[in-house]
Amino acid sequence: MIARPGPLERFVRALLILLVLLLFLGPIAWVAATAFKDPKDVYALRLLFEPTLANFETALAAPYELLRRIRNSLLVTGSTLVIALPVATLAAYALSRFRFPGGEAWSLGVLATQFVPPVIVAIPLFVAFRSAGLLDTPVALVLANLSFVVPYAIWMIKGFVDALPVELEEAAMLDGAGRLRVLASIVVPLARPGIVCAGIFGFVVSWNEFFYALVLTRDRATTLQVGLMAARTERGDVWEVMAVMGLVVMLPMLFLARALQRHLVAGRFAGALR
Amino acid sequence: MRDARLKYLLVAPALLVLAGTLAWPLASAFWHSLHEWNLARSPSPTAFVGLDHYVTLLGDDPDLWRSARVTLVFTLASVATTLALALALALLLGGPGRLEAGIRTLLVLPFAMSPALVGVSWRFLLNPELGAVAALLGWLVPPLAGRPILADPSLAMVALVLTDAWHWSPYFMLLFVGALAAIPAETIEAAAIDGAGRLRTFRSIVLPQLRAVLAIAVLLKTIFSVKLLDHVVTMTAGGPGTATETLAHLIFQTAFRWYDVGYAAALAWLLAATLAVLAALYGRLARGAAA
Repeated sequence: MIARPGPLERFVRALLILLVLLLFLGPIAWVAATAFKDPKDVYALRLLFEPTLANFETALAAPYELLRRIRNSLLVTGSTLVIALPVATLAAYALSRFRFPGGEAWSLGVLATQFVPPVIVAIPLFVAFRSAGLLDTPVALVLANLSFVVPYAIWMIKGFVDALPVELEEAAMLDGAGRLRVLASIVVPLARPGIVCAGIFGFVVSWNEFFYALVLTRDRATTLQVGLMAARTERGDVWEVMAVMGLVVMLPMLFLARALQRHLVAGRFAGALR
Repeated sequence: MRDARLKYLLVAPALLVLAGTLAWPLASAFWHSLHEWNLARSPSPTAFVGLDHYVTLLGDDPDLWRSARVTLVFTLASVATTLALALALALLLGGPGRLEAGIRTLLVLPFAMSPALVGVSWRFLLNPELGAVAALLGWLVPPLAGRPILADPSLAMVALVLTDAWHWSPYFMLLFVGALAAIPAETIEAAAIDGAGRLRTFRSIVLPQLRAVLAIAVLLKTIFSVKLLDHVVTMTAGGPGTATETLAHLIFQTAFRWYDVGYAAALAWLLAATLAVLAALYGRLARGAAA
């Protein structure tokens, strides 16, 4: 770091960086490319191939029904966020500004929820949804997703609200504004970066959610994540269809990578992704 | 409205959500665990058995101890591999340059992939007939050529550990990059002036400074590893045989393949209790680091 790196060292570094890129991005690129390959080319392990959209046609048709799965994934993720963000914002504000009996235990309790293994939650949810006739519906998935998105969002938004100066709110209240008014016209606009950030992470974790979707849906409400497994048929794995679904699964992440990195660096590690 | 009442009103929706989707399921699972109940045969618990399931489990249930051992092996290997890789990445790519920053952003991609996609993709890449990585490995290490990696008990475990490390090391790299940047440059310069070599500087200056963050990373990754399920389901399904059957996967099988809800709930509570201990440790460490 101090001594000026010599040419040999610079060369080794460049080589290592290339290796890292190959190791971490190569597999993703390979899967993405597979989506455009003729099955023959998949088997032949071709690097250069003539791209085709035939796999997308296969994926759109039964039994894969790509569009229906995209719709389900969007519906579940969207509904989860629409419910979770307002609920979390209210709670985050209250936890940040008011003293509760028990003090810090509330905030720590919110954080502790992140360590509950999904497999234990899934058992009673499955039993309850089964008797309520909610198995294989988006409602079941939204409820399950709220269990980890809400605490996560509270934790993130609270961090931002904590950093806002209280003086603004106090001044507004001296002028006669009520708490809710203050919340709506001062706190929410100022905490917007935090809410957006919670929205991005909430989107990523519920879009990527696999286990609840696997257990709580069967065919009507299955999401893209479960669809990845549908390419496993009796006749063997249909990898090129899996790759098409995989491409759709990873597509939003290509756009969100920068935002994700920025927020991860900002030091919001405490809540941790599942 | 008075603040005293308003504050409870503000947290009420969140409490309702958490009560319904976490507190109630946890309590309900415990209630299930006190019963004999196979969901395939009966829509409601058939007999109250008290703590019998727990006694059987802790007594001599070979499945539990086998999967606990698998979980332990996986956890130790994956924590060590992931964090070593993450630290190496942080040292290589932690610089302030634009190139480094750009590559760090790109490395968020593997981390942002869904666990299911990661598992399925690596199953594809390691396929003995048409897997690109399997082909590459066979070329680099001839004894591995044509060997079905995921069909070999120890190789499957190695593959699972490496896949998990591939998925998580970028995340911990970012954590380490932050910690490395916080080490004052003067300290390192001073060491260099005193004639310390690179390795020496790393061992006696950098590593000690990273201790707090390393401790947190170890605990956090341990928790993630103990919970690991998605990769197992999508990549190895616990196999071959039971070589990669982690505790979480055993619970999943017991509950959703055999529908033995009572027994599965008891197993799940053992897992949750283990995680609660780890989480409590984590809470202490994290607060210590913040203070």
